[in-house]
Amino acid sequence: MTDDDNTHTDADINVSGKSRTRRILTLSTFAVARILNRLRTPGARRITLTLAGVMIAIALMTTVSGVALGLATQSAVQGDNVDYWVVPETGNLNTIAVSTEQTRLGDTHELTSRLTRNDRVQYATPVLSQVIPVQAKPSTTREYILLVGVIPPAESNPTIASLPTAELTPGDPYFESNHSTDSWTGELVASQAATSVLNASAGETIMTSGEQTFTITDVADGELRTGVGTAPVALVHLSELQAITGAADSDAASQILVSSNDQRVRSTIEGIYPQTDVVTRTGFASQTVSTSSLPVAMGIAAFVISLIIGVLFTATTMGLEITHDRQFIAILSAVGYTERSIGFVVALQVVTVCLVGGVAGTVLGIGGIYATNALLAQALSLPAAGIIDLRLIPYGIMTALLIGVLSLPYPVWLARRTTITETLRL
Amino acid sequence: MTTNSSAKQTRTESEATKSTESTVICESVSREYSRGKRGFRRGETPTVTALDNISLEIVRGEFVGIAGPSGSGKSTLLHLLAALDTPTTGQVRIGGIDTQELSTRQRARLRAKQVGIVFQRFYLLPSLSAQANVAVPLIDHGVDKSTRHDHAENLLNQLGLDDRLNHRPGTLSGGEQQRVAIARALITDPDVVIADEPTGELDTKTGAHVLDIFETAATDRAVILASHDQAALDRADRVITLRDGHRQDND
Repeated sequence: MTDDDNTHTDADINVSGKSRTRRILTLSTFAVARILNRLRTPGARRITLTLAGVMIAIALMTTVSGVALGLATQSAVQGDNVDYWVVPETGNLNTIAVSTEQTRLGDTHELTSRLTRNDRVQYATPVLSQVIPVQAKPSTTREYILLVGVIPPAESNPTIASLPTAELTPGDPYFESNHSTDSWTGELVASQAATSVLNASAGETIMTSGEQTFTITDVADGELRTGVGTAPVALVHLSELQAITGAADSDAASQILVSSNDQRVRSTIEGIYPQTDVVTRTGFASQTVSTSSLPVAMGIAAFVISLIIGVLFTATTMGLEITHDRQFIAILSAVGYTERSIGFVVALQVVTVCLVGGVAGTVLGIGGIYATNALLAQALSLPAAGIIDLRLIPYGIMTALLIGVLSLPYPVWLARRTTITETLRL
Repeated sequence: MTTNSSAKQTRTESEATKSTESTVICESVSREYSRGKRGFRRGETPTVTALDNISLEIVRGEFVGIAGPSGSGKSTLLHLLAALDTPTTGQVRIGGIDTQELSTRQRARLRAKQVGIVFQRFYLLPSLSAQANVAVPLIDHGVDKSTRHDHAENLLNQLGLDDRLNHRPGTLSGGEQQRVAIARALITDPDVVIADEPTGELDTKTGAHVLDIFETAATDRAVILASHDQAALDRADRVITLRDGHRQDND
């Protein structure tokens, strides 16, 4: 201090706003550097424990969220040009692979005709999806592929289940001819994954277990992605799939897609079936198509449980750490750090540990999704499980940050309770 | 740092010019602590008087020793003089500011600007280097890292620790650690340095060296040193003796 500083006033004691930003920056650097430094030392058990706790909480949340996201998105057989789809209220769109047990809609051809007559509707088609064992004609090996039955519209060529409907005869000739064998088209648009599985190519014939035959009219680039890769999928006419699966009697389908640019059409759609839901494509994410509350419930439960466990664990272990580290706090106080500065240092240390745990947990969680998918594929031969969405990374890290922020009060309160005179011998 | 004899001479000259400027003033200071649990009726809390009616004045350039047996109130007085605590009655003024008038935050700021504290057990941060330890008080002043470390390096050089800048406390001797602690107390250029048994854990030779540093530091600030060590007290310009919370010296 210079001689000019010798006359002190209260104003001298307070820190000016100008230097406050500098103080925050230097304190931040100090706090983060110290906690990272302590993490590298072998004696920092409580910090390591906190980090591990946050990491596990975030990893579990990320894995469960990935699976929930996967469950919600794997039913997205609809094309991007579809605006609404009607699904049974109790139905579950996310279980295509095991869709035989799900609730279905009946009289779908009649219903679709009614919808199509509406001027506001560009096109409408029922969709029936079923995993069916098939074999390419020369082969004797049966492979399971996902068959999706639709009524291709005449005026447009939408993409359904990521496959174009253009190569299928418009309408549903087999149904229109009252199931006359002569009108069986046997047309099938296969994805590359399907042709790869079947070892077949365009023009070749494939056969179902009931001896019905289909000819591959087109092989499309479109992919229906699932948690463990690309699903083998193929488009056929609805009535032909109904004939294979026994759904023809009730003219059943899993859902009805309706394309329209007019929002007023929604009320019309909502009135066509009792006990159904009309889902709107939001353009945000395909997982919004699911009307099932299961994936949402899974995601929310994972978030809430991770948050609660993370906060309680972090508050407890970092509280223990602060109690153990009270000499550090007392030293800072003795050399003139204010309670607020010390609180800031403690807070930043807690948040830093949580952030490091969050990053590690997110990486671990993504690994967990891979592991879950691999396990399901190997043990149950299920193609669908979790998906790795890049948004899971900021989600995991932000949740870890939230855990840090919510667990702050206790360690900061403990730090404020530390007194120099009781902690340091003077 | 200058040597012992020249430090005393410089300090004497300094006193001649600055002796009228009081750095620390205690006026009829008492400090009572509550003991045990509060009784059924309010106001029945038993108390113990650690300091009773202490008055003293310490000016810039003075090296003052505080002596007294254990339990005499030395630590309590040091707490008050370092603005770590406030008196129950009376006034403690540091640099003209009544500490009782200040909030906890303002007292922390007062310590940051005007008080340096040296502990018997050094209390350095084990994970930081000597240089970083010395620079710790400047962090809350918003001083950037390179400036902080330059200041710390200069001080450590003056205290003969230029080859120990990057050593952690665990790798330093007791004397070296105490010199680092002194450097930390001096880095904000405080008006008052308060030391509690600074030679208590050092051998005689190292202790003498540390006392040299305090003598030099007292050239342009007040140094208050509590000790049982007569060699340390002999270095002081005057000694305040406490017994059972009362002053026993003739000042």
